[in-house]
Amino acid sequence: MRSHRFISVKKADPLFSQYLLGKTADGLRPIPVETFNLGSPEETVTFEMLEQKEIQRPSVFEFVSRLIKLPTFLLILMPLFFVFTKNFVDDRFRDPFCIVLAAFAMLFLFAGLNIRNDVVDHLSGFDRVNIAFTAKPIMSGWVTAWKAAHISWILIGISFLISLPIFILQIELFRILVVVIVLLVVSQFFEKNSYKQNWLGEWTLFLLLGPALVSGYQVSLGAGIDTEGLAFGVLWGFACLFLIHVNNFSHMLTSSQAQIKNTMTKMGFDKAKKFLIAWWTTYFVLWFLFHWFYGGMFWTLFGTALLVFWSLPLFLKVAKIQSPIGSSLKEIRRESLKTFLMMVAILVVENLWYIGVKLDWTL
Amino acid sequence: MDYKIYSPQDFPAYLPKLNLLYDDLFSGGKGFRSQLIGLVSEPLSLATSAQNLLGQTIEFIHNASLLHDDLVDRSQLRRGKKAAWAKYTPEYAVLAGDYLLARVMVNLSSHGNIKLVQYTSEIISDLLEGEWLQDSIVGDFFVTMEQLDRVHFLKTASLFKWCLRAPFIAQEKYDVNLHQILNEMGSILGQLFQRSDDLLDFDIRNQEGKAVLGDLKSGYLNSFGAFITNQMSRAQIDQMIKAHDLTEMKLIFSNDPAQAEQLFLKKVSDFDQLNTKLIELYEHHLTTLEQMLKGKEKDLIKNLAPLTEILYWRRKPKA
Repeated sequence: MRSHRFISVKKADPLFSQYLLGKTADGLRPIPVETFNLGSPEETVTFEMLEQKEIQRPSVFEFVSRLIKLPTFLLILMPLFFVFTKNFVDDRFRDPFCIVLAAFAMLFLFAGLNIRNDVVDHLSGFDRVNIAFTAKPIMSGWVTAWKAAHISWILIGISFLISLPIFILQIELFRILVVVIVLLVVSQFFEKNSYKQNWLGEWTLFLLLGPALVSGYQVSLGAGIDTEGLAFGVLWGFACLFLIHVNNFSHMLTSSQAQIKNTMTKMGFDKAKKFLIAWWTTYFVLWFLFHWFYGGMFWTLFGTALLVFWSLPLFLKVAKIQSPIGSSLKEIRRESLKTFLMMVAILVVENLWYIGVKLDWTL
Repeated sequence: MDYKIYSPQDFPAYLPKLNLLYDDLFSGGKGFRSQLIGLVSEPLSLATSAQNLLGQTIEFIHNASLLHDDLVDRSQLRRGKKAAWAKYTPEYAVLAGDYLLARVMVNLSSHGNIKLVQYTSEIISDLLEGEWLQDSIVGDFFVTMEQLDRVHFLKTASLFKWCLRAPFIAQEKYDVNLHQILNEMGSILGQLFQRSDDLLDFDIRNQEGKAVLGDLKSGYLNSFGAFITNQMSRAQIDQMIKAHDLTEMKLIFSNDPAQAEQLFLKKVSDFDQLNTKLIELYEHHLTTLEQMLKGKEKDLIKNLAPLTEILYWRRKPKA
């Protein structure tokens, strides 16, 4: 049986941030195993010092996928597809060059921000508070926070370089950039942990992933901001925020213990369950209204009915959940994701349908 | 040191059945927690009256939780005898538990150390939160070990933490770093005790003859259960829940009983290895703690070092 080597480091110690970043002189990888007084000046972290060969590493694909959080890319790809379809159908596909650049820039930016998010969570201790449902690359020792931070800056830098021509060709994009920067600065100013961890942060994410993202794509395409795009942004942001609420709900116990404030922890377990059901029910209304104004009648009725029908198991599971700590939390997350993916599938088929109609079903 | 934990004079003689109920409750307990108070208090040269108060406090809290726990779980037996709620009615069991907790506050406040009262109240809150959470996962056979740990941190470990910290608080030693270490060591001891107790349910190191598969039959998947069911199929878990005895339960690993036994023991060994890491972490903290103590206080290390042997491995420490 091998013996383990532990080192406890206080926040005041210069080694503290070095160890959290994974920078050690002896090449050992420090993995935090416990934290005292998180967030206070007395914070002390105990690290288990692992040799490289002791770390179980996944395949390269799994590593990259987990590092950049590949499945979450759907959150930026679906709005892109919507903007493509909408402007193709409306004959406003004016700047294919810029939209392709914007798409690539967003891919790099999103990957960079996802990694950055993990680095920030690691340095703030957030990843040591919650029970992880999936393996985290930094906490698992697959990569150091130092390296991850570098990778994230490189990706963000690439994104910046790719997007430069768009800012020259589509000057209107600066307006969106200003809005985004203001949102980020305001949130950063008011936030204690990260953007997803309180009320203002939740709405910032709603605006960034919804209206701001769609508007950015619209402007890059040369189509300008319009009400349909904004309406879709609201619809999409609302759905994304639902996933964030579900995630926060599944961490309610540990977040509450760590005194992290968000809508779910403020409401408490029982009210939060009702809130999740009410949120997704409100989403049906938004979905119906969006399709009523901007979609075909068939998709308004059929799509809504399908979405409602498909959401029933989610409602039942949320209503039935008894504990803030049992296995049903994972089920709720899975069911929410399934429902979300079904909603995306309906949107994809619907948009393909509009393209088909536009092309008169001929290629 | 032997503590006089329970004395009929501590409680009003005019209340029917109260003293009878406490006679039953306090006889037969090992008083391990109050002994732990002694192990910590003596090197600190804490006054005997204060040691008695702390010993009594922890046993009162622990026994109050047992009174309530047995009723919540509908357990018929406690320490081989009929549980209080079954013998004296559920109403009396609840009131007797509440009364013990009230006595704790009366006794501690008379000691005059408000920080001790505050810390004890926090621990009682943690204990109750843990029991509440545990009750919310009864019947959940897919719960993970990490999730159970969070319950055990509150339910079991809180009392161990109290045993290590309360004597220092009673002596008005409030150093943050010291209490941080003691807190963590208490958490680890509680976790090890719980995990070892959970192994008894699978007849591992079960010298005290605890009922086998009791937790599982009451719908509660304990930490070792969660460890072995991790990555198992739903069918295997179903088979485990439905097993009538341990031999049948082991067949979830293989249809061949000999091979099933081997695979089961391999799981036990893996579980032990996991907890050995926890023991090493405890020893790491013990080294840090030693540097914070002075003079006779250092005897505390000698007293605390063998606890993992007793609590996890359930054996007498090597001399």
